Amino acid sequence: MKLPLATIKSGGAASWAIRIAVAAAVFAVLLWVPTRGSDPTIGYCLDAFVLMGAAMSLNLLLGFTGQISIGHSAFYGIGAYTTAIFVTRWHWSPFQTMPMAFLIAFVVGVLVSLPALRIKGVYLALVTLALGLVFPQFIKWPKVEWLTGGAKGIDKAGFNFGRHNRTYSIFGWKPFGDMRANGALPFYFWIGVGIVVITYLVCRGVVKSRVGRSLIAIRDNETAAAVMGVNRAVTKGIVFGLSAGLCSLVGCLGTIRTNNVTPDSGYITVLGGITFLIVMVIGGAGSLWGPNIGAVLYIFISVQASNWSNDSSTMPFFLRPFLSWSKVPVGDGIFAILLIALMFVAPFGLVGLWRRLSAKAVAVVPRPFGTASVTTSSATPVAD
Amino acid sequence: MSLFRAAGLTAGYGPVTVLQGIDLEVNEGEIVVMLGANGAGKTTTMRAISGVIPRQGTIEFQGNSIAKSAPDQIVRAGIAQVPQGRGTFPELSVEDNLRAGAFVRRDSAGVAADIHKWFGVFPRLGERRDQRAGSLSGGEQQMVAIARALMSHPKLLLCDEPSLGLAPLITQELFEVIGNLNKEDGLSVLLVEQNANLAMHLASRVYLLETGTIVAQGSAEELSADDSIRKAYLGF
Amino acid sequence: MDLFLQRLFDGLSDGSVYALLALGIVIIYRGTGHLNFAQGEMALFCTYVVYQLGEWGIPLVPALLLGMLVGFALGVTTEVALVRPVAKKSTFAVFIVTIGLFQGLNWLDGAIWGDQVLPNSAVSKQQQFPSLFPNKATDFWNIFGAGVRIESVGIFAMVMVLTGLLFLLFNKTKVGLAMNSVASNPESARLVGIPTNRVLSFSWGLAAAIGALGGVVFAGQNHTVNMSMMFGVFIYASAAATLGGFDSPGGAVLGGLILGVIQNMVAGYADVWVGQQMKIGVAFVVIVGVLLVKPSGLFGTSKVERV
Repeated sequence: MKLPLATIKSGGAASWAIRIAVAAAVFAVLLWVPTRGSDPTIGYCLDAFVLMGAAMSLNLLLGFTGQISIGHSAFYGIGAYTTAIFVTRWHWSPFQTMPMAFLIAFVVGVLVSLPALRIKGVYLALVTLALGLVFPQFIKWPKVEWLTGGAKGIDKAGFNFGRHNRTYSIFGWKPFGDMRANGALPFYFWIGVGIVVITYLVCRGVVKSRVGRSLIAIRDNETAAAVMGVNRAVTKGIVFGLSAGLCSLVGCLGTIRTNNVTPDSGYITVLGGITFLIVMVIGGAGSLWGPNIGAVLYIFISVQASNWSNDSSTMPFFLRPFLSWSKVPVGDGIFAILLIALMFVAPFGLVGLWRRLSAKAVAVVPRPFGTASVTTSSATPVAD
Repeated sequence: MSLFRAAGLTAGYGPVTVLQGIDLEVNEGEIVVMLGANGAGKTTTMRAISGVIPRQGTIEFQGNSIAKSAPDQIVRAGIAQVPQGRGTFPELSVEDNLRAGAFVRRDSAGVAADIHKWFGVFPRLGERRDQRAGSLSGGEQQMVAIARALMSHPKLLLCDEPSLGLAPLITQELFEVIGNLNKEDGLSVLLVEQNANLAMHLASRVYLLETGTIVAQGSAEELSADDSIRKAYLGF
Repeated sequence: MDLFLQRLFDGLSDGSVYALLALGIVIIYRGTGHLNFAQGEMALFCTYVVYQLGEWGIPLVPALLLGMLVGFALGVTTEVALVRPVAKKSTFAVFIVTIGLFQGLNWLDGAIWGDQVLPNSAVSKQQQFPSLFPNKATDFWNIFGAGVRIESVGIFAMVMVLTGLLFLLFNKTKVGLAMNSVASNPESARLVGIPTNRVLSFSWGLAAAIGALGGVVFAGQNHTVNMSMMFGVFIYASAAATLGGFDSPGGAVLGGLILGVIQNMVAGYADVWVGQQMKIGVAFVVIVGVLLVKPSGLFGTSKVERV
C-alpha cells in the first residue's frame, strides 16, 4: 500500500463532502434516538451528554492553563443543587436555574483557583481535589442542612409538568415524546443536546477567538505575556471560572433527569471528578472533539462492564482470568488500566491516535498561500 | 600513548544529529583543546563521552571500549567532567558537593584527606565549606565543580567551557590550577572553549569543531601559523 | 486544660499518620519532581495485605514488616515500569499515570477484598484491625489530669523515631547523599557516577514503604480498613506537604503534626461550626492559606515559581 492513500485539499470539495456526511449522520442519530430509541438507550445518551459537557469543560481548562482539575465534581454538584434548591424552594423553572448555577459555579471557581493558579506546579490539582472532597461534606454539614437537605437530599427537584401536561407534535412526529408520561426522557434528551452544543460552541469560540488564540500562544511564555500586558493568573482564573460554570450546567441536567439529588450520588463525589478526567484523557486532551468521543466510549465500556459483572459468562474470554473473580464491578479497573495504557500508547487519547494514523493514510493539503481567510484546523494546542 | 580515542563519534538529541562522526584523540599527559562556536557541538561531545546521551561510534579509553558503558561505569573507569555552567548541586553544601564527587570511591579516609587537600588549593572553598553551593559566586562554583570532578581521581578530565561567565582573572587562576595538575600529576585534559585566547596557552593540540565536524586540527603553533584559521577562529 | 492536652495528643496522633504519608509524597517529589497521586492507595493496598496476613494468623509486627516490604516492591515496580518510560514523554503523562494507579489500586482492593468494612464478623477471623499499641478504652495514661491514650503517645513517639532515622539517612549516609544529589541536579548526579535510576526507584520504594506504615497505623486507630479510607488522609498529607514545603521531609513531618493538632483543636473547640463533616474543610483552608501567604511552605526552598 502506498501511503498516503489519498490527498485532500483543505477547504476543497472533498473535505466539505466529508464534513457534510458526518454532520448528516450525527443529525440522523439525534433525530432517531429520542423518537425511536428505547428508554435505556436515551438514558445512555443522557449519561454521555453529561460526560461530554464535563469533559469539554475540563479540556478548556487544560488547553488554556496547562493544568487539570480533579474536583470538577464540586461544580457538577453546584449545578445539581442549584437546580434542586431553586426549583423546590422558589419554584423557578429548571431553565432559569441554569444561568444561576453557571454564575455561582463561576464565582466559586475563580475564588478557589486563583491562589493556586498564581503558582506553577501541582497546586491546582491539590486544591481541586480538596474541593471535590469538601463539597459532599459541605452538603451534609448540619449548618446548611436546612437548605441542602443534608444526606437525604432533595426530592422532586426537576421539572414539574403539572401545568405543561401535553405533548408537542410536528406533523405527527413527537420530538419530545409523551410528556405526560413519568419522566419525559426525550424532552430531557433535547435539553442535553442543547447543553452539549452550547458548551461546544463556547469552547470553540473561546479557543478560536483572537483573545483565545493569543492566550494559547503565550500560555507558557512569561515574557510574552508580560509584554502583552496580560495578567496571567487572573486570566487563568477566569478560564477556570468559565470551565466551572460549564460543568455546572450538566449538573443541572443531572437533577432534571433524575428529579432528585443526594450528596453521594451521580458525579457529586470526588470519584466523579476523576471520571471526568478519565473521559477527557481517553478521548483526547487538547482537541475539541476528544472529550465527546471519550464520553461515548466511556458509557459504552461502562455498560459492557456492568453486564459482565452481572453475568461473568458474557465477559470476553481473554479478560476472564483477570477480572471475573472481582468482588466489585470491573468498570473502574478497566478504566484505570486503559488510562495507564493510553499514556504509553496514545497520550493524546483516541483522537490523537486517530490523527497520527490518519495523517499517514490521508494527506490534507493546505490551501495555497493567500487564498485562505480563516484556518480550518480544529486542533487545540496540547499541554505538555 | 593514547589514553582516549573516539572515531566516528555520532550523537544528537532525538531526531536531530549534532555530531556527524568526529575523530578525536587525547594522549597521556596532554591538554587537548576543542574550539568551536555556539552550537558547534562541544557540549554534545562532552555529554557523549560521559555517556549521558545516546551515541554511536568507537569510543575507547585506556584501550577498552566505553561506547556502551553507563555513566557511572565511565566515571569509575577514570573520566570525570566539569560540566558547562558549573553544574554544582546548589542545595548541598560545598563539602557535600565534593563528597558527591567521590561517590564511586570506597575509601572514606582518603576522601576526607582529599577534601582537606582541595580546601588547601582553593582556600575560599574551605572558608565556605558548609555554605550552600548555590549561594557561591560563579568563580567559586567553578572551583567547586573542578574539585568535585577531581575527587574521583580521574585520569582524563573533561572541561566544558570553564571560563563561561567568569572574569578573566578568575579564569586565569583556574587554568593555572589545571595546568599544574597536568604538569605535576600527569592529569590529561580535554577542554572545550569558545574563547580561544585563554585556552591556547595550555594546549598541546587543538581541534576546531564546526557544526558537528572537525574542520582543522594540529598543535597550537600550527593553527596559530595558519592565517585564515587564525583570523576566523582565534580572533587574532 | 485536660481537654486541651487530650486534644493535643489526639492531634499529634492523627498528625503522625498525615506526617508519614506526607513524607512519602515529599520524598518522591523532591527526588523526581512528580506528585504521586497514588500515595494513599499504595498505602491502603499494603494495609489490606497486612489485614490478610493477620487473617492467616501472622502476628502484627512481622505482618507490618512484610507489608512495608510489599510497599517497597510496589513503589520500585511503579517507578521502573510505569513512571520511567512515561516520564520521558511528559510530566502530565506521569500525573495521569498516577491518577490511573490511584483508581486501579483502589479498584483492586475492592476486587480482592470486597467493598465492605473489614474486619467483618461474617468473613473475618480477626475482631478488629490490630494496632501496634494498646488501644482499648482503658489504655490511657493520666497526664496532668488528662486522659491521654497510650496509642496516641506510642504512634507519635514511633514517628519521631522514624523521622530521626530518616534524618540520619539523608544527612549521614552515602545513599542519602545520592538521593539529595539527584534531587538537586540529576544531570550532575549522573556525571559524578551516581546511578540515578536506582536512586529514583529507591525513593519510590522508600516512600511507599513509609506510606504502608502510615496506612497500618491509621487502620489500627480506626480498628477497621475499607476502600475509601485513604482519600481524606491523602489530601491531609498533601496539605501537610504544602504547609511544610514540598521539598522538605522535615517540613512534611512538622506540617502533618501541625495539621493534625489544628484539625483536632478546631473540631473540638468549634465543634458547633466545624464538626465531623467539615474536618476536611480544615485541610482545604490550610492549602489555600499557604498558597496565598507563603507558597513554598514553612521549610521549602523557594524554587517555587510564580506564574
